[in-house]
Amino acid sequence: MAKQGVDNAEMKKIGMIQQKQKEYFALRLRVVGGDLNPDQFRKVAEIAEIYGDGNIHITTRQGIEIHNVYYTKLEKAKDELQTVGIRMGACGPRVRIVVACPGDKTCRWGSIETKGMAARIDEKYFGSETPHKFKFSVTGCPHNCAKASENDIGIMGGILPKWQEEGCIDCNLCVNICPTQAISCENGRYCLDEQKCINCSICTASCPTNSWEIEKKGYIVLIGGTMGKIPRLASRLTGIVENQDDLMRYIDAAFSYYKQHGRKKERFGHMIDRIGLEKTKGDILNEI
Amino acid sequence: MKYKVAKRLDLHGVPCPMNFVKTKVALFGLECGDLLEVILDEGEAIINVPRSLKDEGHKIIKVEKLEETFRVIVEHG
Repeated sequence: MAKQGVDNAEMKKIGMIQQKQKEYFALRLRVVGGDLNPDQFRKVAEIAEIYGDGNIHITTRQGIEIHNVYYTKLEKAKDELQTVGIRMGACGPRVRIVVACPGDKTCRWGSIETKGMAARIDEKYFGSETPHKFKFSVTGCPHNCAKASENDIGIMGGILPKWQEEGCIDCNLCVNICPTQAISCENGRYCLDEQKCINCSICTASCPTNSWEIEKKGYIVLIGGTMGKIPRLASRLTGIVENQDDLMRYIDAAFSYYKQHGRKKERFGHMIDRIGLEKTKGDILNEI
Repeated sequence: MKYKVAKRLDLHGVPCPMNFVKTKVALFGLECGDLLEVILDEGEAIINVPRSLKDEGHKIIKVEKLEETFRVIVEHG
């Protein structure tokens, strides 16, 4: 065997994944929120042609993998990617690349800026060792395009609406478009059931007289989502957190709790199911 | 609902974004302050069309739930 002495666990840490063709590897790149610049894209194409077989694979997490790189060429390929600022991704029991939707910069529904947020999370947590793989996602609003609820920690933008009697023409549009029937109307007075509200902003965006106003806007923290063999949708840890530094404190408390209590090869969500959601939430929130 | 509507439009079964385009065309023939009655499907249609009309400067006056559709009164902006 030509490649004796290669430590696959170590290789996975730096995003080099052995293929079933044992002398060949997939290079997983650290693409945050699915964004690369043109120079980086050109370099990826060049590396795939020179060191791989020309195929470039887009992953399910907005990342890029260059497949079929012969093991003797890995270092050279990695160094060349670094010349345009592309770093290697990660595999194995650690924090993976952060997924993000376009957010409020371009999307009409976006309630938060997502790319900067994803970069901040990536900078702080990427590659950190965890009991099992660990995935973050940042999605701009409850439409949930970046699937925050399928990630170990999902950050979701959202708003809390508030009804103002002044100006309201009692058209009843809000009652009919609220996706969770959280709005009701009695004698011309509109009422929000905050337990039912999913913070999506459809009412505030559509109200013809802007009688539904945004009272609060920010981040909602979701914990314990996963797909895989035993899928589990994430649970809400918080309501709307308005401040980004506060948000980072919630993330840190949840992340540390998992690192401390998660068993080897146990995903965050499955740990929550073992310990109990209410206990886990209580313990995490107590740390804030 | 008692409104003096200048025009009626049944868009039941017309998908997005054609339902919005047809509404826009209908409004094009009306004057500022005129009312248009539109029948829109539940789901995407009732969420998207009123919001797009707001973006264009028109105003929803009333929404009434029918069976699988909504009767929507729009005021030309």
